[in-house]
Amino acid sequence: MRAEVAHPIRSTPLRRGGVSVGGRRLWRCDAGDGARSNPESAGQGHAKPAAGTARRVLVVDDERSIRLLCRVNLVASGIEVLEASDGREGLELARQERPDLVLLDVMMPGLDGWTVARELASDEETREIPIVFLTARADPSDRRLGEQLGGVGYVVKPFDPVSIGDFVEGVLVRIERGERDQLRRGITSDPDR
Amino acid sequence: MTTTESTEAADRARRLQRVAELLAEAVTPQEVLDSILTEGVKAAEARAGAIGVLSEDGTTVELLAQRGYDQSVMAGWSSFPLEAKVPMSDVIRTGEALFLPSVQERNERYPALAEQGQDSHALVVVPLAVEGRVFGAMSLSFDRDVEFEPERRDMKLTLARQAAQALARSRLYAAEQTLRERMTFLAEASELLASSLDYNHTLRQLAQLCVPGLADWCAIDMVGPEGEIERLAVAHEDPDKVRWAYELQERYPPDPDAPTGVPQVLRSGEPEFFPELPQELLDEAIGDDEELRRIIDELGLKSTICVPLAARARTLGAVTLIAAETHPPYTQADFALAIELGRRAAVAVDNARLYREAERGANAALALAYVADGVALLDTKGHVRHWNPAAAAITGVDEDDALGRPVADVVPAWNALTSHVPLVPPGGAARPVTVPIVLGGRERWVSVSGVEFGDGTVYALQDVTEEHALEKTRSDFVATASHELRTPLAAVYGAVRTLRRDDVELSDYDRTQFLEMIESEATRLARIVDQILLAGQLDADAVDLELTECDPEQVAAGVIESAEMHLPESISLDLDVDGAQPINCDENKLRQVLVNLVDNAVKYSPDGGRVELRVRSANGSCLIEVADEGLGIPPEERERIFEKFYRLDPQQTQGVGGSGLGLYISRELVERMDGRLRVESEPGKGSRFTVELPLPR
Repeated sequence: MRAEVAHPIRSTPLRRGGVSVGGRRLWRCDAGDGARSNPESAGQGHAKPAAGTARRVLVVDDERSIRLLCRVNLVASGIEVLEASDGREGLELARQERPDLVLLDVMMPGLDGWTVARELASDEETREIPIVFLTARADPSDRRLGEQLGGVGYVVKPFDPVSIGDFVEGVLVRIERGERDQLRRGITSDPDR
Repeated sequence: MTTTESTEAADRARRLQRVAELLAEAVTPQEVLDSILTEGVKAAEARAGAIGVLSEDGTTVELLAQRGYDQSVMAGWSSFPLEAKVPMSDVIRTGEALFLPSVQERNERYPALAEQGQDSHALVVVPLAVEGRVFGAMSLSFDRDVEFEPERRDMKLTLARQAAQALARSRLYAAEQTLRERMTFLAEASELLASSLDYNHTLRQLAQLCVPGLADWCAIDMVGPEGEIERLAVAHEDPDKVRWAYELQERYPPDPDAPTGVPQVLRSGEPEFFPELPQELLDEAIGDDEELRRIIDELGLKSTICVPLAARARTLGAVTLIAAETHPPYTQADFALAIELGRRAAVAVDNARLYREAERGANAALALAYVADGVALLDTKGHVRHWNPAAAAITGVDEDDALGRPVADVVPAWNALTSHVPLVPPGGAARPVTVPIVLGGRERWVSVSGVEFGDGTVYALQDVTEEHALEKTRSDFVATASHELRTPLAAVYGAVRTLRRDDVELSDYDRTQFLEMIESEATRLARIVDQILLAGQLDADAVDLELTECDPEQVAAGVIESAEMHLPESISLDLDVDGAQPINCDENKLRQVLVNLVDNAVKYSPDGGRVELRVRSANGSCLIEVADEGLGIPPEERERIFEKFYRLDPQQTQGVGGSGLGLYISRELVERMDGRLRVESEPGKGSRFTVELPLPR
């Protein structure tokens, strides 16, 4: 539906597989260097992974179908995927795995996405992890709240899962360029219709 | 004594007797004067007579009446100083009678009189005295010279005594009469003033009451709100003259700086009295205006009194009394009466105004006591001056605890409540601001507006918590409905987009998953849309039921069967049937109700547990129960969950789906089938919804 960041699709040959991480499944693509074959040791370089290493994205959504869409398409873009089906699980996984980015649903049972974002921002260890909200809430007031909570992207459902990988990549590149604040401000000015 | 002499003596006695009888019958001073000057003068064998009395202030002699003198001679003698060297003044001063047998003797004694024409002979002037006090004198003139022998002198003195007594008595009577009239007038005026609080009206009537008894003209002027002079009333016996007076007022409006008259009285608060209006005052007022001179001359102003209407050290207005064509010039007594009248009228006006203010205050207090909006009046220091019951109800602080205290002490949240409220000047359009605030431990939404005036600020508070809750329910619905529509749509659209990707090869497993996703999410989407449509139809009462005989057990079994297809593993679903009988109902709608109830039971059992569907018959009813072991429903929410768009604890249920319409639709449908839907629940232990439908008779 929208591709906020135009980015050439990476046509990396894929080999999909799942690895169990702390009882969760970690989906990743084999980027060829095998650097991420042991996710337990992947905790350190989360803020700025070296170019060429695979991105890791945590998808937090209670809807199984949305997680499936994200996973298949992100992996297709060469991005490793972690999944959580509610807010609490998402928070735990974020703290534990320090993903490069969180795709965060808002309306979830238990902890909602706003609370998860707040918790992540209040924790020294996780405050740098960029958050992209992926939500059915389309009201401008929700966008403002997303901006206040430090989100760097705001994707309204329904969305085009095919371009989600490029979108995530674009966000991460811009953050690496130090454009985090511009991204944040873009949340509310984005004519996302 | 000769026969002639004795006859004359008897005659004198008879005449004196006759005069005494007449005087005894005379009541008013005029009657007394008439009797003396006709019979008395005749009895004294005189040609003419005159009676003069001392003025009120004792400095002049005023001629009350005369008979037999030439008008031309008497013209200059209507009043003359007590000090004047004339017979009457001398007699009054000394109290000694004067007997002048001839004109020669008179002229010797009073040379000045010699120059005043009239042929004259003997003159007698006798003092008029009662209780040793001389108050006047009577003169008798004879058409011949007379030697006044002792008995003749005695006769004149006796006549004077009788006349003095009669005159004094009648004057006393007249004074009493006048006093009584004045008292009656004052009583009437007081009664009038007390008759109504519409003082404009009563003052107009008062002016009317003053004519013609007290004045030929009466005018009442009031001080207006801006200090201007407002003519309230003009009274005259002749209405045409009143109209004319108003026209005159238009043409010659009063000069507020005028040194005399109403402006002066209003400025100084002091009464003004002109027993005789000095011509130079009129001349000054008239100036060169010939037209005005004609008018003033026509008015024939003689004497004026202007008294202030003063109460509590404030001059509210002035009453002007004018003696003109008919009324005699005013006396000190009239002036005193006018002052008293002004005082009483002022008190009445003041009372009426006070009463009106009090009444206005009382009405305002009454309105404020019953108005639904909270009203708080703060002075410039922020202390509470007024705190109406609604303000007390909204803030939870009683009036007694608020009055006189700084508002920030009364309501700690006051600043938070009012800091964003734009204060407008009086008459400006107040712009209310709605603010959430914790008052008395409860979160309230309060709409606040403020008006700032010279002496402080008045705030209007409106508790809009309920409206806000309703609004929030609506916007929550929009958010959830939006979520409920967007999520399945996202899944369907996303699945199609992913399936059509040609740069990625999907496994058969994934491909199957996406196809299943499309199917189930499209179904879910259709169901949500159906619910929204159905709720709309129920609102419009446009739902047609197809009542047929159906087997509740069969319906329940079908619901269980389809629910089991996507049941979380942690939930067990059981059907328990105990003697089900066929009922008359719309089978599809009943299925819809049970699907909703089972869905809810599963949704609200996030930690799993048993969900049981029970069907039985009791007391002529078919009972279908859906029981779970889930979260349960707090008692205060148990009826609200059946409201449209109401969602139990939105935080908890977000994401578990639902439009907030399921229970609303279910109850509406059950009731349209003559049944009832009720709920029992224990928070933390679970809930039981019971559909009760009548068995056919």
